[in-house]
Amino acid sequence: MNRSSHLIIVKFLVGLAFALTLAFVELAPFDTKLIEPMMLSSAYAQDLLGDDLLSNDDLLSDDDLLTDDDLLSEDDLLSEDDAEQDRGDVTGSLDETAKAHLALFAESKYPSANTCKACHENHYKEWSVSQHAYAQLSPIYMAMQNKINKLTNGTNGDFCIRCHTQVGMNIGESTYESNLDRHPTSREGITCVVCHRVEQPYGKASGRLALVQGDLLTKVYGPTGGEELERVLDNRNEYRVVTEADESGRKIHTEIGHFPQIQTSQFCGSCHDVNLFNGFRLEEAFSEYKNSPAAARGESCQDCHMGTIQGKVSGYKHAPAAEVGGVPTKERKVTNHFFAGPDYSVIHPGIFPHNAEAVEMASLREWLEFDDKAGWGTDAFENTVADDYEFPARWRSIDDRYDARSVINDQYELLEWAEGKRIEVLRNGYLMRDAIVVKNSKKGLRFKIPVENGTDGHNVPTGFDAERLVWLQVTVSNDKGDTLFKSGDLDPNGDLRDAHSTFVHNGELPLDKYLFNLQSKFLTRNVRGGEREQVLAINYSTDVTPFVRPFTRSLMLTGQPAGARKHRKTLPPLAVRDANYVVNKKQLAGADKVILNYKLMSAMVPVNLVAEVADVGFDYGMSAKEVADNLVEGHQIIWEKETVISLDQ
Amino acid sequence: MMKNRLSIVYCALASFCFVSSQVVYAGSELSTEPIPYLSDESLPPRTKPLLEIGPKFLSTGNIPKGFVLPTGAVWTPSLWVYGNLRSGLQTYDDGSEQEVTTNEWANRLDLFANLQLSGTERILIGVTPLHNRETGVFSGTIDVDGSDSESIEELNFDIDTLFFEGDLAELFPNWDYFDSSKNDIGFTIGRQNIEFMDGFLVNDNIDGIGFSKNNIRFAKNPNIINWRSSIFFGLDGVNRDDNLDDSDSTLYAWFNQIDTTSSTYNVDLAYVTSDTAGDLVNLGLDAVRRFGKTNVTVRAAFSQATGDVTEQSDDGVLLFSELSWVPAYTHDNVYLNGFVAIDNFTSVARGPLAGGPLGRTGLLFAAQGLGSAPSALSNNATEAAGLALGYQKFSKDRKTQITFEAGARFDSLGVSEDEYGFGVRFQRALGHRSFWQIDGFATNSSITSGTEYSARLEFQVKF
Repeated sequence: MNRSSHLIIVKFLVGLAFALTLAFVELAPFDTKLIEPMMLSSAYAQDLLGDDLLSNDDLLSDDDLLTDDDLLSEDDLLSEDDAEQDRGDVTGSLDETAKAHLALFAESKYPSANTCKACHENHYKEWSVSQHAYAQLSPIYMAMQNKINKLTNGTNGDFCIRCHTQVGMNIGESTYESNLDRHPTSREGITCVVCHRVEQPYGKASGRLALVQGDLLTKVYGPTGGEELERVLDNRNEYRVVTEADESGRKIHTEIGHFPQIQTSQFCGSCHDVNLFNGFRLEEAFSEYKNSPAAARGESCQDCHMGTIQGKVSGYKHAPAAEVGGVPTKERKVTNHFFAGPDYSVIHPGIFPHNAEAVEMASLREWLEFDDKAGWGTDAFENTVADDYEFPARWRSIDDRYDARSVINDQYELLEWAEGKRIEVLRNGYLMRDAIVVKNSKKGLRFKIPVENGTDGHNVPTGFDAERLVWLQVTVSNDKGDTLFKSGDLDPNGDLRDAHSTFVHNGELPLDKYLFNLQSKFLTRNVRGGEREQVLAINYSTDVTPFVRPFTRSLMLTGQPAGARKHRKTLPPLAVRDANYVVNKKQLAGADKVILNYKLMSAMVPVNLVAEVADVGFDYGMSAKEVADNLVEGHQIIWEKETVISLDQ
Repeated sequence: MMKNRLSIVYCALASFCFVSSQVVYAGSELSTEPIPYLSDESLPPRTKPLLEIGPKFLSTGNIPKGFVLPTGAVWTPSLWVYGNLRSGLQTYDDGSEQEVTTNEWANRLDLFANLQLSGTERILIGVTPLHNRETGVFSGTIDVDGSDSESIEELNFDIDTLFFEGDLAELFPNWDYFDSSKNDIGFTIGRQNIEFMDGFLVNDNIDGIGFSKNNIRFAKNPNIINWRSSIFFGLDGVNRDDNLDDSDSTLYAWFNQIDTTSSTYNVDLAYVTSDTAGDLVNLGLDAVRRFGKTNVTVRAAFSQATGDVTEQSDDGVLLFSELSWVPAYTHDNVYLNGFVAIDNFTSVARGPLAGGPLGRTGLLFAAQGLGSAPSALSNNATEAAGLALGYQKFSKDRKTQITFEAGARFDSLGVSEDEYGFGVRFQRALGHRSFWQIDGFATNSSITSGTEYSARLEFQVKF
C-alpha cells in the first residue's frame, strides 16, 4: 500500500469516527429505545412485539433477544395463586391487562417474597424490615444512582441498581424508573430469590450474577439440600402440598439444590465487595474480612450476621425452617434473615417494611396520601377532625383509615424491633471507652475519648464507608447548663460541620476542627491542584464528559482508577483510636467544674449526600428537606456517657 | 502574527461561551419544595461502548450463568470495545526572531477491547491506529512556517496494550473455600501502562509482570488503615527519561500506598538497569491530606545513578507541592502548584508522549499528548523552580468549564532561561460522549525576544 492510500484510510477512519459520533449524539434517545427494549413502562408491550423491533441493532447478541423461555406460557397466565400474590400496583401508564400480565411475567421467573411467606413466615418477617428489603426502596440511593448516571453521561448504567434490584434489572426495568412504577418483586430489592436462586460461586462479581429463573415450583438452593423437602413431599396429604402447575392446592418448590457456598463468606462477597470496572473500589467488606483475625479463626459473615445476636458469633437458633399448611417441618439450624446494619427507612410506613396486608389494602400512591403524621385512623384525630376535612378518595371512609392505622401500627412495631437490632449490631461493632483527662485546669482542659472496633471481622464502618457516619458528639457545659464547647453538632440541614456541610463550605458556620468521624472520603484528582474531597466520586475536573469504562491500566496493580479513589479512614479490626479535644481558657470562662457529655453516634448517610443528589428529585414526591429531616430523625446514639470534671487552678 | 491573533480570538471565544452558560448557585439550606423525580425522559440513556459481544456493559437484562473452570471459578465472558478519538487543529509560534509558525491537524485514536471474564479477571488489548506509539507522531497534516502542507500518516495496528489480570483467590476459589487465608493477591502480566505517583517516577507502557496485595494491616499500628503494596518487573519496552525506548533496560519497581487517619502516603521505589542507558534508582515519597478546606499534596522524588551518569540516568531531587481549594458557593477549583528541581532529576521510565516529570505543575507545563507542539513551559526537572496558579470554573451542570492559569519557571543556575506564561482552557460537552476544547497559551522567556504562542481547537469523542 502506498503512502497516499494510507492517508486516505486515515482520513476515512477519522471521518468515520466523526460520523459515528454524530450518529450517537443525534440518535441517542431513539437508539436507547431500541437498545433497552425492556424498560418497564414499555417493556411488556415491546416483548409482545417480538424481535422485529430489535433488528436495527446489530450489536445485540442472541442472548439479548427473547427466547421461548422468556415468553409466558399459558400456565403462567392461568395461575390464580400467582396472581393473588402479586396485586401491588404497577404503573399508571399501563392498562390493567398489561399490569396483570406483567406481574405474572415476573412472578413466573422470580417469585415474590410474598409467595415464600406462605411457608416461611419468620424468615419473611425478619427480611421484610431488613436493609436488604429496603435496598431498592431507598429514595436517597435511587437519587444517588440517578445523579451518578447523570454526571457520567449514563455510563454507570445499572452498576448501582443491579445489586439493589436484581429482579428489576433481570426483567429489564429502566434504571431510572420510579419505585412507584416498578414491579412489586423488583421493589423487594434483595429478595428471597436473589440468594436462593443462585447455583454457582460467582466470586467477587459486584452483584453481577445469574439467577436461576422459574416459578415457585422450580428448584431453589440452600445450604443443606432437600432431605426435609423430600420428607414433606412424601407426606403430601399431611402437608397438603402439590408440585404440579395444574394441580389445585398449596404449591411448593419441587426440589432444593444443595449449594454449600451459600453459607460461606465468599457468597456474601459476591455483592459485598463492590469494584467498578474502571478500577474504583467502592466497598471492600469482604476483602477486609478476608484479611481479618475472624477469618483466620474460621468465623464467617453468617456467624456474626445471621446468628441469634446481631454482630457477634452467638450460635444459631434451632427451629422449623418452614410451616407448611400449619404443620411445622423438622427442627434444624435456622438463620436470622434480618442482617442488621446502619440503614433505616426514611419513607412512609405504609410502604416499608414490606407487608402483604398493606399491599392488599392500598397501592403505594394511595399509601403516600395517607397522612400518618396527622394521626389519621387514631381516636385523637378522628374524634376531632372537622366535617369538611378533605380526604383523598381512597381514605374517605373512616373504617379504611382505622384499618390503615392498624397496619401502620404493626409497621411501627416492626420498625421498633429493627431499631433495637440495629443498636445491637452497632454496639457490638463499636466501643466507646471512658474519657481520659490529660490536662485539667482553668487555663485549659485537654481530654481524649478512645473509640474501639468491637469486632475483628472487618473495619468499622465497612462497606459503603465513604457515606457512613459514625462520630462523636461532645459537649462541655458549666453547672448552669451553658455550652462551653461542642464538637460533632449538626448544622441547620443536619450535617456535621465538616467541609461538605454547605453552611461550612459557604463560610456561614465554622469548620468543626475537632470532629471525630470514621467516615471514609471520596477523592477526585483535579485537573491540577492535587486531590479534593467530593460527596460523589465523579471526576468532572479532568474533562466535561466523565465516563465509566474498563480501566486501561491494571486495576489489580493500581487498586484505583486514575481520577478518583477513596481515602479509607475507618477503624480496622482490633484498632483503638483516640479523639482528642482541647477546651481553652476563654471557652472555660472561669468555671470551677464542667460537665462532659459524649456520645458515639451513627447515621446511615450524611445530609450532604441528600443535598448533592437533590437536583434529580427524590422518589415518592419527597423534598430534600423532608428526606434530610427523616434521615436526621434516624440518627442513633450507640453509646452515651457523662462525667463531671473539677478544674484545678 | 495572524496566528497570534487567532489565539486571542480562541481565548475570547472560550470566555464568552463560558460566561454565557453560567447559572447562579443556590444557598446553604435544603429546599422544602419537592423537585420532580427525573426519569428516562430527562436523564441520559446508557451510553454504550462501540461494540458489545456477550452481556452488555453495565446494562439491564439477564446475566448468563457462564461456565465453570477446572479451578472452580465461574467465567461469564463479554467483550467491550471502547476508546477515545481526539482531533485537533493547532498553531504554534516558537517566539524566535524568525517567528517560525507551525500549523497542524493531528489525530489520535486509542482503542481498547476488554474481554471481561469475571468480576476480577480480564484481558485488555489496546491499539493506537492513528499515531505511532514509539515516535509520538500523529496522523494528519502539518505545515511549518507557511511551507506546503505535508500529510502525515501513521496508520498502524501495533499492539500498545495487551495484558491479563486477575485475583489468585478468585481464579482458584477452592484453594481456600472458607476464605480463612489472605490469598487475595492481584496479578497482571503483559504489556501495560504503568503510572505511579502521578507519573513522576514511571509513566510508560511496559512489558512485564506484577503482583499486588491490598488490605495489609498491622495489628500493632491501628492507624494504618490500609496498605496496598505492588511489585512490578518490567522486562521489555522500557522508555527512559529521554522518552526513547531502550531495549536493554529492565525495570524493578515496588509501589506502596498507605491510608492513615489523616493522610494517604505513597512510597515508591524503582530501579532500572541498562548497559547502554545506565542504571538508575528512583525513590518517591508523597503525602496527600486536607488541612481544613485546603487540599495539600507534597512530594519528594529522588534519582540516583548507580553506575555511570548518562543522559537517561542522573542524580537529582525534585520537591513538588500542590495546593487547592473550593471557593464558597461554588464547586470551582483554585490551585497553586510549585516545584524545586535540584540537579538533574531523571525518571526511570517515561513514554514517548509523557514529556518530562513536571506536567502536573500546570496546564502550561503539560505535554499535549496530541500533535508536535511542546508544552508551553518546559517540564524537565533540571535545576529549576517554578509555579502555576490557576482557577478552574465549572458551570452548574458541570458540562462547561474554563481554566485560567499563570505560570513561571526559573532557572536555578542562570545558564538557561526563565520563562513565564498565561494559559486558558475551555471545554464544553457536546451530547453525552463528546466535547470540544480550546486551549490558548502565551509564554515569554528571558532569552527569546518574542512571545511564544500556541492555540488549539480540539474535538474529543469517547466510545
